[in-house]
Amino acid sequence: MFQAASAKLAQTLLVLLIVSAASFAFLKLAPGDPVSIMLGSDYSKSSYDQLTHELGLDQPVVFQYGNWLADFVRGDWGTSYITNQNIFELAVLQALPVTLTLAALSLLIALVIGIPAGVLAALYRNSWVDVLATTLAIGGNAFPSFYLGILLIWLFGVDLGWFPVLGFVAPWEDFWQGLWHLTLPAVTLGAWYVGLIARITRSSLLEVLGQPYILAAKARGEPAWRVVWVHGMRNVLMPLVTVIGLQLGGMLRGAVMTEVVFALPGLGMMVTTAVLNREYIVVQAGIMLTGLLFVAVNLAVDQTYQFLDPRLRRR
Amino acid sequence: MDCAVAMNLEAAAMPESQEPLLEVCDLSLRRGQAVVLDGVNLALHPGETLGLIGESGAGKSTLALALIGLLRAPEVQLAGSMRFRGTELTRLREADYRRLRGNKIGLIFQDATAALNPCFTVGEQIAEPLKRHLGLSKWDRRERAAELMHSVGIPEPRLRLDAYPHELSGGMQQRVMIAIALACNPELLLADEPTSALDVTIQAQIMELILDRVRALNSSAIFVLHDLALGAQVCDRIAVMYAGQIVEEGPSDRVLASPLHPYTRGLKSCVVELGSRTLVPIPGQVPPLNAMPAGCRFAPRCPKAKAICGEQRPQAEIRDGRQVACWFID
Repeated sequence: MFQAASAKLAQTLLVLLIVSAASFAFLKLAPGDPVSIMLGSDYSKSSYDQLTHELGLDQPVVFQYGNWLADFVRGDWGTSYITNQNIFELAVLQALPVTLTLAALSLLIALVIGIPAGVLAALYRNSWVDVLATTLAIGGNAFPSFYLGILLIWLFGVDLGWFPVLGFVAPWEDFWQGLWHLTLPAVTLGAWYVGLIARITRSSLLEVLGQPYILAAKARGEPAWRVVWVHGMRNVLMPLVTVIGLQLGGMLRGAVMTEVVFALPGLGMMVTTAVLNREYIVVQAGIMLTGLLFVAVNLAVDQTYQFLDPRLRRR
Repeated sequence: MDCAVAMNLEAAAMPESQEPLLEVCDLSLRRGQAVVLDGVNLALHPGETLGLIGESGAGKSTLALALIGLLRAPEVQLAGSMRFRGTELTRLREADYRRLRGNKIGLIFQDATAALNPCFTVGEQIAEPLKRHLGLSKWDRRERAAELMHSVGIPEPRLRLDAYPHELSGGMQQRVMIAIALACNPELLLADEPTSALDVTIQAQIMELILDRVRALNSSAIFVLHDLALGAQVCDRIAVMYAGQIVEEGPSDRVLASPLHPYTRGLKSCVVELGSRTLVPIPGQVPPLNAMPAGCRFAPRCPKAKAICGEQRPQAEIRDGRQVACWFID
């Protein structure tokens, strides 16, 4: 138990180290000399050398990396050249909650629609219900989120005027206003996930329903709904959680598109703006934060496995 | 053979002439075009044990699943009748059938490892029929589940209640399966090859346990087996099935001692006996379901087949206290 946990931890730290090295190298490889940018157009050799020394840029690259990593861990992520804002504040306190809220709401919508759709498709296999659910699933998966977002804005935002077109209100400040502003973006991002969840639910449930223990549950007199939703779905959760965890990358990618289309001040918006402004230091923070999110989700999925499948539990 | 004949036969065999617990008359089961069960007649009295014997694909397990109502329309088409305690099962509403399953009719599966849900503890799975059919409280269910586990020979049942199936050995898993099937004291127990997935060393133990419990509860039981000698040893009566039909049915000792149907004889000579050097296999294979012969289904493999065997199906006749379906009974 302890051995497995420490191996897992070592693995996680290694991944984080590689991500940090890559994002540090990214900053080093970026064009432009930060010292001359900071000093402006007119400066002397001595002031250039002094600033270089103050920034630690005269040290070997490995030391620079070490210093940068130590600063990063302490939460000192530097300051934006343009807005003069603390980047830790910008990324972690402002952008991250927006993206997490959007992702969580999208996932919720996707689960609430995708799981029943997948179950219905499996139960009425090859009927019109199945065809409809599968078509919607593939459609949702194939439809580009930026286009779906624009369509939704056009229909529900502009034409019908039911939902706001742009902007973000924090749900933790005004819950209903926040939810109202997040509905269209969450549907846009969730549509992609609905298809994935419905397809995995359908195929896993079909496999599970063919197992002898399902027949055995029926032979005990269990009613049909319990056979499917308790005995069956309990065994479908495992593959479902795996896919949801693995596809978090797709979710973050979709979040970038969605945030740009709906002008939400999340991580995707932050990175997009930073790329356009060539603010590499902010892009770097975005990379690090995304890497951390990935690792955290993977760890969470691993922990969930043990909870979901008794065979993986260690006693 | 019609049911009147079967009844006469049963009356002859059982002098006390009780109402049969289960009466199957001319039961046929079709899956699309394939006739999986064809004109099956059976009667089972309270406290009686019956062995369904035959090769793989003879329809033994199908018959067991049809009896417990897990093979019904629209999945398959049933014709004929199955009466259980006077209730016609073929026309029973699903909700009423569900009240019989796991309650009055129990089913033991062949492979307990596959038939136990890996995500639930064995205690939860034993308690399910207790909740569903007897409406016991949570506390009572736990108590009763522990008692049941004790009664099927699981040591330290209270510690094992919260074990998951994978934490138990194959033999213990089959004991759990038996406890589930017997949880509500069923009047009819169906056991589908209950020992064939187990190690040889514990097969006899498990078989003995099932018989012991069935006797203790005064239940009737149908064992699906492929071993004629084992069937004759553990069951009061034996029904030999071939390609979806019962070819010979009668008291175990008589069927084993002097089989009348050529197929039963073939099965008997397939058994390797100690000291005997001869092993006579039955030539050929069971014909596929979509290409069954019009007459006797065993005719293509039968050493005694004549022209009529391929053309007309033999009706079951009563000989020597048993029903036999063959044109040339000696």
